[in-house]
Amino acid sequence: MPIELNINGDTITLEIDPRTPLLDVLRDRQRLTGAKAVCREGFCGACTVHVDGQPVPSCLRPVGMLQGCRIVTVEGLAPSGTLNRVQQAFIDHDVVQCGMCFPGMVMTLTEFLDREPSPSRDQIKTALVGNICRCTGYERIIDAVLSMQTEAAK
Amino acid sequence: MNRPTDPRSVVMNLPRRDAQDKLTGRTRYTSDLAGVEVLHAAIVRSTVASARILRMDFSPAIAMKGVRAIAQASDAPGLFGIGIADHPLLNGTRIRFKGEPLAAIAADTLDIARAAAAAVIIETEPLPAVMTMADALAPGAPQVHPEWKSYELLREGGIRGGNIAWEARVTRGDTDAAFARPDVTIVEDCFQVGRQNQLPFEPRCAVASYEDGRYHIHTSTQVPWTVRAVTAKTLGVSASRVRVTVPAVGGGFGLKFDCTIEPIAAILAQKTGRTVSLVHSREEENLTCLCRENAEVRIRSAVTAEGDIVGREATVLMDCGAYGGEQVFLTTMTAHTLGGNYKLGSVRMNSRAVYTNTPPNGAFRACNGVYNTFFLERHTDNIAKAIGMHPMEFRRRAVLGDGDIGATGQVFQGEVLRPMLERMAALRDKTPDCREQADGRLYGRATTVGTWFIFVGPSSATVNLNADGSATLVTSGVEIGSGTMVQSLPQIVAATLGLSPDEVIVKAADTDAAGRDLGVGGGRATVSIGAASKMAAERVRDQILDIAAEMLQAQPEDLVLTQGRVEIAGRPGTGMPITTAIARAEALHGPVSGNGNFTAPGVQAMPGCAAGHFIDAIDIPVFAVHDCEVAVDPDTGHVDVLSYKVVQDVGLALNPRAIHSQIQGGVVQGLGYALHEKITIGLDGGLEQPGFEHYLVPLACDVVPVKIDLYEGAPSIGPLGTKGAGEVPILNVGATVACAVSRAIERDVWELPLTPPQVLSVLQGRTGRMDHSHLSAVWQENLLEFVAPHRSLDHS
Ligand code: FES
Ligand code: FES
Repeated sequence: MPIELNINGDTITLEIDPRTPLLDVLRDRQRLTGAKAVCREGFCGACTVHVDGQPVPSCLRPVGMLQGCRIVTVEGLAPSGTLNRVQQAFIDHDVVQCGMCFPGMVMTLTEFLDREPSPSRDQIKTALVGNICRCTGYERIIDAVLSMQTEAAK
Repeated sequence: MNRPTDPRSVVMNLPRRDAQDKLTGRTRYTSDLAGVEVLHAAIVRSTVASARILRMDFSPAIAMKGVRAIAQASDAPGLFGIGIADHPLLNGTRIRFKGEPLAAIAADTLDIARAAAAAVIIETEPLPAVMTMADALAPGAPQVHPEWKSYELLREGGIRGGNIAWEARVTRGDTDAAFARPDVTIVEDCFQVGRQNQLPFEPRCAVASYEDGRYHIHTSTQVPWTVRAVTAKTLGVSASRVRVTVPAVGGGFGLKFDCTIEPIAAILAQKTGRTVSLVHSREEENLTCLCRENAEVRIRSAVTAEGDIVGREATVLMDCGAYGGEQVFLTTMTAHTLGGNYKLGSVRMNSRAVYTNTPPNGAFRACNGVYNTFFLERHTDNIAKAIGMHPMEFRRRAVLGDGDIGATGQVFQGEVLRPMLERMAALRDKTPDCREQADGRLYGRATTVGTWFIFVGPSSATVNLNADGSATLVTSGVEIGSGTMVQSLPQIVAATLGLSPDEVIVKAADTDAAGRDLGVGGGRATVSIGAASKMAAERVRDQILDIAAEMLQAQPEDLVLTQGRVEIAGRPGTGMPITTAIARAEALHGPVSGNGNFTAPGVQAMPGCAAGHFIDAIDIPVFAVHDCEVAVDPDTGHVDVLSYKVVQDVGLALNPRAIHSQIQGGVVQGLGYALHEKITIGLDGGLEQPGFEHYLVPLACDVVPVKIDLYEGAPSIGPLGTKGAGEVPILNVGATVACAVSRAIERDVWELPLTPPQVLSVLQGRTGRMDHSHLSAVWQENLLEFVAPHRSLDHS
């Protein structure tokens, strides 16, 4: 049975093995390579996308389970050439290094901050338990997220 | 013309130009390059650690639909290595480790390539194996390389034999006399560490094509020129037939300081005439990771009651795995790391790279410095205890100062470590301690020192000044995440030419476009590529100033380049836009460009005291002082890091915010090494942590914000007095955590990582004093007889 998905606003129909991970559909077929294949086991979060608004590791989602779902990847998060506020905060605080984890970080934190607009430092750290970064040592990412509240309060 | 660039114009918190694309998922790393239009490759690997290959039958693979080509040993006849050429690209005769590449297959899809690789029939005859260094050094041990004598030597002076791939020694002063003195206390310790996986998020990967009779390799590497040279050497072709280009690199940390799978992709591209992508799976990547090596030491010191170290001797064993690789070079570093930090009246050290039938090791951020600093600082705490001196007081007295000589006899310039210790004391005083957070757990705190270096060596750069007033910088540098290519290099060139950094275009490495370079790593990019870039920019500046001087009827030395204009110094607005001077220069002579180059200056050592060393002295020493507070749960053995502080010697901080980020990141990698990144080797010789489930890297909730003080002004030959700042932050983390834990639990810590079971075992007295029986307490007994170097005629 063909599988219908909406990816970043475009509806596509796939005639493929329903066990194919969403990550492979995004990267190999759609050539949306923002989601990264780092562990393929659900630990690192570099492949995180939104499925019906929820951040999920796309490496662990067979497309057969996603019939009719609305997928948003990092490429579709903000209109082309613009940034959302999480991305902007990361630029302002110069927190990016190799960058491999950041598409996933952005997807996780964008949804988290919609839900929890003024989190504590510890809450942010807990929210990142499924997003590993090998380069930055995290703390400056968290500073950047906290700064968004201070900015908003101004 | 010598016009110094004003450091004030170059220091800034320049943001990264690559951040926007990285944050929106638009950056294409090498692992993102290949879609369905290219062929995909998979590697056939050994499943045993030591065996003779009797037969390889590829016919089941060839019969599969979609299989396009096979690469095998005969396609890559040349051996490669560092110091010794001992490593085949694809092994067709004698397997030396589990997971060794034997062949590779290119197919229409990755699934087909993997299925075909699994279908290859390999018949082997088991050979005896050595899985540990103790086994490898035992009398009559099976040899990993029975043919070791026949290998081409790429470097003279190596002391080798059997399972000892390389031995580097240093002997300065009369150690025997020092140890025989009646007024000394002798302290002796053994320590050991396991391996550490760099785990950059982008695995090793390459996308190769064959164009106009040349190999073109896109790869995720730190060393494009090494990839070029090793590809040529293994394939037996001229290096001029290999082109290497490097997109954004998704992390390296030293793993990508070696050429590994690139030539395999090149062979398959040549055979198929198609573009071939070869990307390690996470499991392949972890199980064949070129880790920071496991290592063991025996160290002895003779110390007076006043804290003078009159004699020190040590032997370090470094596991190089099945092939020599980086460890051959790294034997050199023991003299400067384990032999660093402190004034030594006399010293002898021996560092041995030992072959085992395990996956080869490699380079990892501050390489052997990390564990040697752990060994040295724990040993230093034991010395202080033995002579009844406070460990801080001992360090204050004993650290290297201005004019002191290092292990190999080099003279250190400037008083650096002692003032850094004072700065750390001030930083500690500024912040209340975290003792209360220990909340009933065992509390410990330690401050340690570390010595590392900048790995200089050759770099080249070209600057083209464009008619629109922008400049293009062409080097072989690559951006691995540390920010050199997007921050320090454009900052240096912009300041020299009076431009803003965003007017400096930085070209990513392409060996067809830029000159030779040693690569990005060892903290060298800002220093070596930076120096070459600065020289190239100065040559451009001088041309423009000469032209402008004529036009303005002024002397060139009275002119300055600033804000896109040529001005008469002190009289803003009197000059002209730089584009006017460029137009004139183009009309008279053609487009404006300049070249720059740099290499290691070669600091003097004491003649005759070092043998088997690749460098005798360190050109740019870098020092670090770290402080850490921990709480140890006596019931579970869990170590909680409560605070972390760093005072780091940076020379001149070009981009302080970016350096802070490097320090935070480096310290956290060190915390993983100290506490939970554990690699074990099975009885079959294979690594046992294939993924993130078992190899535990730090998570956000495991870390603390590092308090940082950048120590500027120590002597450096780097451009504008810079030193690389990205490599060294990891240097003494293992040491500091271990010393703090040891003080918290009031027991000796001999080993890293300090996982909860390990700590509990020490705490409960189940781990006794460490003693390596395969490392003799008589230093000379750990030496190989000197073997006259065998030299081949071909020094390619
Ligand atoms: S790749 Fe999906 S969680 Fe790591
Ligand atoms: S920036 Fe490299 S993994 Fe996070």
